[in-house]
Formats: sequence, C-alpha cells, structure tokens
Amino acid sequence: MKKKVLSLLLACFMTMSLAACGGDKAVDTTGGQNGGGNAAPVVTADPSEIVDGKFVETRKITVEVYDRGNDGGSDPINNMYTDYIKKGMLEDHNVEVEFVAVPRWTEVEQINNLLAASDAPDICLTYDYATIQSYANMGGVLDLAPYVEGYKEMLPNLWAWLGDTNINWNKDPQTGVIWAIEGKRAVTARINTFVRKDWLDKLGLKEPTTKAEFESMLIAFRDNADLLLGADADKMVPYSVSYDVGWRAATLIESFMDPAISNKDYYINGFDDRKFTEAGTKEAVRLLNKWYNSDLMWDDFALYGSGDTTEDDMMKAGYVGAFTHNWDYPFRNGTDSIAASLKRLVGPDAKYVAIDPFEDSKGTHTKFITSSAGDRKIFFPTTNDEPLASMLYLDWISDPTHIQYLQLGDEGVTHTKIEDGVYASKAATGAAIMNSGNNIDYTITCNGLCLADEESTIKSIAYGYAESDPADVANAYKIAMTDARAEKNVNVGAIEAEEGMGTVLSEKRDIVFDTSVIASPSDFDKVWDDGMKDYLSAGGQDIMDERAEKWNATYGEAVNLP
Amino acid sequence: MEKESKEKMKKLPKRKQSFGVYMKRYWQLYALLALPLLYLLVFKYIPMVYIQIAFKKYKLGMSVWEMPLAKNNGMEYFIKAFNNRDFIFALRNTVSLNLLDLIIGFPAPIIFALILNELVFKRFKRVVQTIAYMPHFLSWVIIYGLALQLFAPSTGFINMIIQNMGFEPVPFLNSSSHWVGTYIGLGVWQSFGWNSIVYLAAIAGINPELYEAASVDGAGRFKKMWHVTLPGIKPTIVVLLVMNLGNILGSGFDRPFALQNKLVMDVANVLSTFVYKIGIKGLQFSLTTAVGLFQSIVCVFFLLLANWLARKLGERGIW
Repeated sequence: MKKKVLSLLLACFMTMSLAACGGDKAVDTTGGQNGGGNAAPVVTADPSEIVDGKFVETRKITVEVYDRGNDGGSDPINNMYTDYIKKGMLEDHNVEVEFVAVPRWTEVEQINNLLAASDAPDICLTYDYATIQSYANMGGVLDLAPYVEGYKEMLPNLWAWLGDTNINWNKDPQTGVIWAIEGKRAVTARINTFVRKDWLDKLGLKEPTTKAEFESMLIAFRDNADLLLGADADKMVPYSVSYDVGWRAATLIESFMDPAISNKDYYINGFDDRKFTEAGTKEAVRLLNKWYNSDLMWDDFALYGSGDTTEDDMMKAGYVGAFTHNWDYPFRNGTDSIAASLKRLVGPDAKYVAIDPFEDSKGTHTKFITSSAGDRKIFFPTTNDEPLASMLYLDWISDPTHIQYLQLGDEGVTHTKIEDGVYASKAATGAAIMNSGNNIDYTITCNGLCLADEESTIKSIAYGYAESDPADVANAYKIAMTDARAEKNVNVGAIEAEEGMGTVLSEKRDIVFDTSVIASPSDFDKVWDDGMKDYLSAGGQDIMDERAEKWNATYGEAVNLP
Repeated sequence: MEKESKEKMKKLPKRKQSFGVYMKRYWQLYALLALPLLYLLVFKYIPMVYIQIAFKKYKLGMSVWEMPLAKNNGMEYFIKAFNNRDFIFALRNTVSLNLLDLIIGFPAPIIFALILNELVFKRFKRVVQTIAYMPHFLSWVIIYGLALQLFAPSTGFINMIIQNMGFEPVPFLNSSSHWVGTYIGLGVWQSFGWNSIVYLAAIAGINPELYEAASVDGAGRFKKMWHVTLPGIKPTIVVLLVMNLGNILGSGFDRPFALQNKLVMDVANVLSTFVYKIGIKGLQFSLTTAVGLFQSIVCVFFLLLANWLARKLGERGIW
C-alpha cells in the first residue's frame, strides 16, 4: 500500500516536472510594469529636471543595435562610432547611452525574449510592423503620440528629418496612438538582377532585356559550361535563388503582376511582402519551375537556411551566372564583397553587372520599391522609463551633421574625398570598421547614405562601396530605380487577423515557393494549389478579408488612394 | 567508506533517536543532497508556476498571476491547438518519427553490445567501442553539416559517386520519404555506441558461472547469447524501454530543427519545432505553453502505461 502511494506521488512529481519542461518557454515577467501603456494625451517636460535640453541629473538609456557577425568586423557595441554617439549624447543632453547587441538574423526572436523578460532596450527597432502590433496588443509598447507632440519643441531635428509623413505614418486613424515611428529610407532602390558580364562577352551575348532573352542566356550558360568553367563545369549554376524564393526572384514575380494594379488590390494582398497571393505570382513560379527542371537553377537551394554563406561563396568562386538580390548586393562588404572576391579568385575581367530582363505585360520593367517610410520602425517598450531621454536620442541621431559623420567616418580612415562634396568609401581596419554600409545600424532614423547636401549624396552613392567600380554601382542604382513604383501609405487601423501570424505564414509561403519550384512540371499545379489553400486557410484569407473590409470602411468605393 | 557506515549502523541503538542526533550524524550526506535538490527546485519546480500561462492570455511585462484568464474557462488555447492543422501534423510527425526511432534505434545498441561482447581481442574491442561513441559528442548542427557534404543532391559526396556510376542522384535530404530514412539513420548512427554502454555494463555484471554451466551443457555461442546474456540484461532493457516509451511525444529540439528544411516540412515539423516557431518566433506563448503541457501529460500517461505493462509481464519496471 505504502509503495503504491509512493509511486503515485512520484508520478505526480514527474508529471509536474515534465510539464515544467514543456512550459519553460515562458520567462519570468514579474517585476515588470503593467501593460496597456496609454499615457496621458500629451506630456510636457518638467523644467526642474531639464534645462536647455540638458538633464540636470545624468540619465541612462539603452539602445538596440544589430550585430551582423561580419567576419573581422568591429564590436557593434563598442567602437569608434559608438564612442562618438556616447560622447555627444552625454555632452549635449547629459544622457548616458549603452548599446545592446541583437543578432541581425534572429532579431525578432531575440526581441521577443527580451520583451518577455522585461529586459528590452529602451529604444528598439524592427522592420516588421505586424510584430510591433503584436507587442502592442500584449501591452508591451509605449504609445509615442504624447511624446512626439508634447516634446515637439525639443525635437527639431527629428521633426525636420522625419517630418509628418514618417512620424504619423502608423498613427491609428481611430485612436490616434502611434506604436512606432518610421525611420527614413534615404535610398529606396530595392532589387536588381545581376549577370556575369565576362560570360556574356565570352559567348558574344547581349544583355537580356526580356524574359525570353534571359532564358536563352541561361541555356547558353548551361550548354557552354565547359568553356566558361573548364574543370569546374559540373559546378555551373546558371541562375541562383535561395530558399527565400519570393525575395530572391522578386523582380521576376513583380513582372507578372498587373502594372496598373490598384492601391486597393495591392494593399489587400500586401500582408505578405513576397507578393505570394498576388495574381500572376503562380505563373512566375511556374517559369522558375521550368528553369529548375531544365537544369538552369541551383539544385540544392532549399537545403541552406538564412544566413548561410554557401550561395555567396559559389558566387565568389565564379560558378553562378545570374542572380537576383538587393540592388547593391555584389558590392557590399569592401574587400570581402562578391565583386572584389570574384576579381581576386577568378580574374580581373570577372564581374557582375546589373541588368533589367523581366518585362511586364506593358513592356515596362515595373519594380515595387519601398517609399521613404515603411522601412525600419522604431518603438519604445513599456519598460522604457526614460521616454524623454530616448526621444532626445532620436533627435540627436537625426541631426544632419551627426548622420553625415556616422555615415562617412574620418577622412583618410573610412573615406577619401574625390571632389568637392563627393566621398569614396575606403576599407577600414579595427574599431573604425563599419559593420553595416554607411553605418545604417547606428543612424536608426536614416537607412542609406544621406549627406547634408543632396547632390553630393547621389554622386557619393556610386563611390560608397570600397573595392567596387563606381560606374557599376551607378548603373545598378539606375536600373533598380527604372520604372520604380513607391509604396503608398494605407492606414486603416490595426488588422486583428494579422496578430502573431507573420512567422507562421511566411514559413508556409516559403514552403510553397520551394516545393513548387522543385516539383515535376506535371505536379506543379497541385503542389501550388494545395499549398495556397493551406496558406489561406491558416489565416491568410482572414487577413485579406479584414483588409478589404477596412479599406472599404475607410476609403469607400475608391480603389486608389486620394 | 561502506564498511565504516555499516559499522556505524551496527552501533546505532534500536530505539528511536532524536532528530538532532540523527542530523548531527548525517548532515554531511544531506548537505551533499542539497545541491541537486536546489537544482531541481530552481530549474524544474519553480518554473511550473508559469504553466498557468497555458490557461491565460499572455501579456508582456505583467506578472503571470495578474494575467487575465483565457476564453472558454481558460481552455481557449487548447481548443485552438487542436483546431490547428499544423499542430495535428506536428503531433502525427512526432509520434511516427519517435516510433520509428524506437523500432529501429532501440534494438541497435543491444545488438551492438552483444556483438562487442563476443569479441576476443580486447584491444580491438576497445578501439571499436571508442569509435562508436564518438558521434554522440557531435552537435546536430555539425551532423547536418556532414550530412550536406555527403548527401546533398548535386554537391554531396555520395550522390557524386552515384552520379558518376551513371545513376540518378538520390534525394536523401530533399524528398520527404528519403528524409525520414536519413533522419532515423543519422539518429541511430549518432547514439547507438553511447547507448550500448549501459548494456555492456549489464553484461559485465552477469555471473560467469552461468556461461560455464551453459558450456558444460553443450551450448554454443548463439545459445549462450540467447539463454544467458539476453535474460541477464533483460531488466535493463525493460527499464530503458519504459523510459523510451515515456518519451514518445517528447522530442529533442536540435535534431529535428537542424535536420529539417523547407522541402520536407510535411514530415519534419515536430512538436518541439512547432512550439519554437509559433511560440518563440511568433510570440504566441499561451498557445505553445498549452501544447507543451499537453505533450507532458501524454508523456506521463505513456510512462505509467509502459511501467504498468512491464510489471504485469513480471519485470520490476522503474518503480
């Protein structure tokens, strides 16, 4: 009898301890503040605490900065630029700044955990508004509306730089809350397709300007692998994508969209930024499927996850004929860039140039680019008990002279002057290394090169990539902006169906893209349709329905924004 | 040590002794026990407070005690989980992968231990044993790296050999059915050597006289294996089987997570990776705590069932 009781007791304990193992995803949240976070409509600074923008007593704030884990990069929380910011903030506002490194490729998970542990930095960033909306719904985010208005006089640089558009971009039309303000995108170019110029020359081919020409170019690459790669012919990849097909074939997918698409249709299908549910995307993937089954693409693309460098290494080694990526991708990272590595490993002639091969139904090359807002978002978690000091930080970091210094660094160290007002980047060493191009990770209100003078900015962009040919960069920029359509701000309030769906749906989308590309042509329709059905039933349809409903409620019959 | 304590035992008076005297005598042993107990308390029992998140609507920066109860008397997230197709698939995948693991992976170390035991050359035996242990110390991320080098369709070593011989490459990693085989195979390869240790220890504990007696009766090697060695390690086998059955719904996180890719998610998404993706990345803590709790309860149920069965069949079980 006694033994029975004992075993029962033991079983109970085991249940509980096993349950605890399953449940320990939860993190201690005691000690945090209460959620909700809607402060009084407008706040004002207490004159006894702050004189001329300078705190009487030293305040302390923490700021998120991405850790990109670059080979041989500088310490993201302690280098020449963080010293500059810390010193400036202490002198100008008597605010001590501490940086918190968050891994770039797992930023959302990391911020989730930091928020759940009430340990998030006072100033947080992310690129995905739906994520911030989920945090807000869980009571984790401060409403910025009272601060941007209440402290307006103390924030001249912030208002001058971001303006009404970016500050009020996310303002809820009903409640007036602002969960996040939008950093400004100085360079709005987005996606380009690159091709090996030396291969084209060797085969006597022109740069393709249509999909048909692009396809015959890929076939020529495949059929001439022996000539182009010699002993490495079996490593030939005519066209390369990664597991994230929607991103890495973006301009191809966009070319299948209706160039005259209405703002409404674009918005309704806009939750997925890979344009998964747009009409036409299926046909784009069907074309990829054809290429895949004709040996024109990388066989193993789906086996490598995000952040893996295998594909980059293949480009650097010269095995890849063409690929689609960020508009400046081959030029990034100085001596370690694809352009520089290719030159070093393959030969001085080897290089990628940008081309514009995907025509749409009108014969133009429509590319959907971001607007100057709708890019990187800044929000304060509810654990931020220094909202004024944090606002002053945003103001300080938006000062044009500070932006310029952070983006250029010191002359002779990180840049050289070409002519008056035109600067060329130079590969730096040690604490002067910029981990992100033009230090965009520090200039959080400004993404992309933006000098105090606009004209010198445009000229300097081409010189902004150490070890790359400025003419190639300028050409890439021009092509990325050809027929570009900037995103418009549709603000109809929070879409409840989107809450927490971001990662689930983007995972499903990637699976459908990947499995459809590798399917046999006869299975393609089934694989795509089944996957789409699963995506829609898992929440995709609810989001589209709610978006349509809220569009109608806000804009009525109109299909385009006023 | 043992002798000493036995002598002390003898000196003890038969009658009840006071707690103080008892503690004075044995406090060192209790002090030794304190650390593991503290570990269990801090890392296993205190976190149980947060099980209630499964029944509550999770809020950031709020104490779990203050969070509001979820809809349907707190059962909202359990209902949600069972209405979620992905959860059902993850459940199915977890059970089927674990069952396959059990069917193929469980006997492997037993057979290996039996074979090893029959080896005559001691040195050779030791070398084989050490090599067999080694994979156990590799992390799954590294094993996936090795698997890619060997099995990737175009650049994998094995597939290159297959292609050079004029055959089509085998989609070890990128077709669902082949992936299951790769997953199970790598699991067996990684763990059979390590898991055989406990069987080898059990075999070493078998009375050699039994073997001698069997020889006298004319038993050959296989007869001895079947009638002496296997019955000798049967209790060990049963205990490990019970514990394995208890884990039928549980699964490590790193093995499926490291090995899965987008092309095989229909068979590769298991509960632990589901919880990671929905909970940690998707910030749905309540839903995934509910899933975790469900998983634990089913595990305990299986554990009790297996133990009960073992005892029914005349074995000792684990308690």
